Amino acid sequence: MAKVTIPIGPQHPALKEPESFIVTLNGEKITNLDMRLGYNHRGIEKACEARTYVQDVYLIERVCGICSHSHSTCFVQAVEEIAGLQIPSRATYIRTLIAELERIHSHLLWLGVAGHEIGFDTLLMYTWRDREAVMDTFAALTGNRVNYGMNTIGGVRRDFTKEQLADVLKVIDICEERTKYYIEVCTQEPTVINRLSGVGYLSHEDAMRLGTIGPTGRASAVDKDVRRDDPYLAYKDLSFNVITDTHNDVFGRAVVRVLELMECYKMVREIIARMPDGPVTVKAPRKIPAGEAFSRYEAPRGEDTHFVKANGTDKPERVRVRAPTMANLQSVAKMLEDNNLADLPIAIAAIDPCFSCTDRMIGVKNAGGIKDTVRWDDLRNYSIKWYRQQGIDFTGLNKKMANRQE
Amino acid sequence: MSALLLILFLILEFLFLGFLGMAVEFIDRKLYARMQNRIGPPWFQPFADFVKLVAKEDIIPEEANPMMFKLMPVLALTAVFTAFLHIPLWDSTPLISFNGSVIVIVYLLTIPTLTFFLGGWHSTSLFSMIGAVRTLTQLFAYEVPLLLSVLAPAILAHTWSIEEMSEFYSKNPLFALTNAIGSIVAMIALQGKLERVPFDMPEAETEIVGGTFTEYSGRLLAMFRLAIDMETVVGASLIVAVFLPFGLHSGPLIGFVLYLAKILLVILLLALLRTVTARLRIEQMVVFCWKYLAPAALVQIIISLTLNWIIK
Amino acid sequence: MANEEAIKSELTGKFVFLADKIVIKRERRIFADVPQAHFREVFEHAAKKMDFVHLCIITGLDDGDNLLFIYHLSKMDGTTLNLKTTVPKSNPVIKTITDIFPGGVIYERELIDLLGAKVEGIPPGKRYPLPDNWPANQYPLRKDWNPSMLEGKDGRKEEVKNG
Repeated sequence: MAKVTIPIGPQHPALKEPESFIVTLNGEKITNLDMRLGYNHRGIEKACEARTYVQDVYLIERVCGICSHSHSTCFVQAVEEIAGLQIPSRATYIRTLIAELERIHSHLLWLGVAGHEIGFDTLLMYTWRDREAVMDTFAALTGNRVNYGMNTIGGVRRDFTKEQLADVLKVIDICEERTKYYIEVCTQEPTVINRLSGVGYLSHEDAMRLGTIGPTGRASAVDKDVRRDDPYLAYKDLSFNVITDTHNDVFGRAVVRVLELMECYKMVREIIARMPDGPVTVKAPRKIPAGEAFSRYEAPRGEDTHFVKANGTDKPERVRVRAPTMANLQSVAKMLEDNNLADLPIAIAAIDPCFSCTDRMIGVKNAGGIKDTVRWDDLRNYSIKWYRQQGIDFTGLNKKMANRQE
Repeated sequence: MSALLLILFLILEFLFLGFLGMAVEFIDRKLYARMQNRIGPPWFQPFADFVKLVAKEDIIPEEANPMMFKLMPVLALTAVFTAFLHIPLWDSTPLISFNGSVIVIVYLLTIPTLTFFLGGWHSTSLFSMIGAVRTLTQLFAYEVPLLLSVLAPAILAHTWSIEEMSEFYSKNPLFALTNAIGSIVAMIALQGKLERVPFDMPEAETEIVGGTFTEYSGRLLAMFRLAIDMETVVGASLIVAVFLPFGLHSGPLIGFVLYLAKILLVILLLALLRTVTARLRIEQMVVFCWKYLAPAALVQIIISLTLNWIIK
Repeated sequence: MANEEAIKSELTGKFVFLADKIVIKRERRIFADVPQAHFREVFEHAAKKMDFVHLCIITGLDDGDNLLFIYHLSKMDGTTLNLKTTVPKSNPVIKTITDIFPGGVIYERELIDLLGAKVEGIPPGKRYPLPDNWPANQYPLRKDWNPSMLEGKDGRKEEVKNG
């Protein structure tokens, strides 16, 4: 087969969100990868500047659906630091509890997605069933399955009863037992190992050079975890291991994630056992004094950072969000060098990408309220033109290929 | 008059095969779902899918060769149906029987795969083409083990006719047991032929969208899907006829029930295989087929030859 | 806080002009104002000699007449050094840091698209994050920008009409 350029995205079944990977193939081997990001820009950073801090908490929470608590906690941490607020210790423990439950549901989700990408739908069905249990716990605790709305400046918005916490423990017990089984599946099932090991190789040096973080980095022996290195919330008091691995490939990333799940269960039990009594919120001022703070947070996918600059009013001067995927995407091109087309979906999925998080800023199109309907033909012509600009001409290329084959 | 009757009979047989194919698809999907902790589709789902697809508009890509594009699904259906006529059901006697029918069946079953390739290739979409090339690559991997594994029982039975083979094994059921390795090889190769997990690279949706069938829609896609369903039945029937020819002379009713039970067993095993495995890469599949499957089939042939020699 | 003080004294010892520009905000958070002329050497020293091996992010913000850039560097032990530098809006030119942190290229592209910075020496590549047909000289994160400035200049609409 001659060299072919195929578009993976902006719309493609392997990608859950629109991003464009334009792949040049030589037979089944990838020879070149061209990334184009930015399809999900929603203008959140700019929008934050026009809203009050309290409104921003909810806006920031919607940066990402999966790690919503990560973003909002990271943001309120920065604001509380500027305002000099000391939040009650029960509130920090509740935030930590939600954070770890979120990590559990995110890693289970990843495991399922990884299974689907390698055509192992059974794993997807099993892990997502267990993830449902965690999601239901969230609904019982916070009222929502995603976007929990727990954080407010100066504490959390809900307190939990002892019975609620006991229910969490029950769910954790079930999940732990099942996770042990998934660890076996991931490390012993031959077809899974065949598809995962050696795929998406990223050496330790490359991982350090490209600033790879989170489980993706830890699978390349980058021993970095904000929870331990730069403790926030209640992580100072908790005992946990940072899981690293030296496989440097997708298999290592899967191992890191499933073992991290086991740590999460341990931590959730510890948090609930040590949960102090007391109020869950302190009064926060409406206007935050001028100042700036840089806040870091270990989201399920890696380090999440927020920078907030306040100017003394009730609206921030600047909010800067860096989601983990943004740092990790740079390593994808490296990972895919000389891989097969068949490995592309799993290699991309292995960084647990969240493109909505990555693109959060601009894209206010026709904000003036222009009413304009685009007809189907126009849209089609537009797409043909767009692909042609990207160097992909379906019609010409196919003809060329057919000729060459003859 | 007799020609008219024959045509009527063929139409009925075709309808029966279509019905059986969809029933088998339902059972397969239901089993797959239950093994995955899902509820699964209702019994009429494959029929509903079929009716819905047939009612939809056919879209043929501008760049495609319309003749080839439309012809391929029809060809696939015809080939599968023709193969079915050669396979015995409740009795040992198929509709058409001659010495060499085993080879004919195996080759008729190759035609659908070729039509997938040609259909994908002629739809000129990038995804279809990659799928088409994978289909063909895969064909070269599983076809030889499949043929070899069917060959071994034929050697033992000293015949190339599927009728005589069934007859031979139903008289000597113990000999059928010696074909165990061959039956496993045939089952795995059949999984490859049907393009199901772990050998579903030609339609790997996360990589190449719909694979070979990306550009197909409406009636043409419905025909292809019906052809695959029928191929499942024919493939399973072939395995049943060659490897499980037990209880053949117990009358049409019991024979038919037995036949259904045996097909169900094959379907169950195939569904189990696709539940517990992940999709392989194309080169992993080729390596697997040539390194393990083909030698295993050869071992089966050696066993058959040795037995032949002992009996003499 | 001894660790942070040591970093502060190493920086001030090496670079005299930083004498009163370094602030330790809290544990593991050091902020420093670096004049643009000396920025590159301070950055390189911190990255290569002082084990600040990870570039968390580059923040860019509109500071009235100037553009302010903050490079958030971190050590493996969690200490963060935030180097700030300003350039005038009339000539917003900074040098690339992609030779030290290749992964930082995406942050620099954001500065180009959203704030109109000019980055010298950035490797060629596709723009990020704005659409390809975004009108020139529209920098959304500048304070004087608002969405109404886009009206009538939407490149895509014209394209659709022509196409």
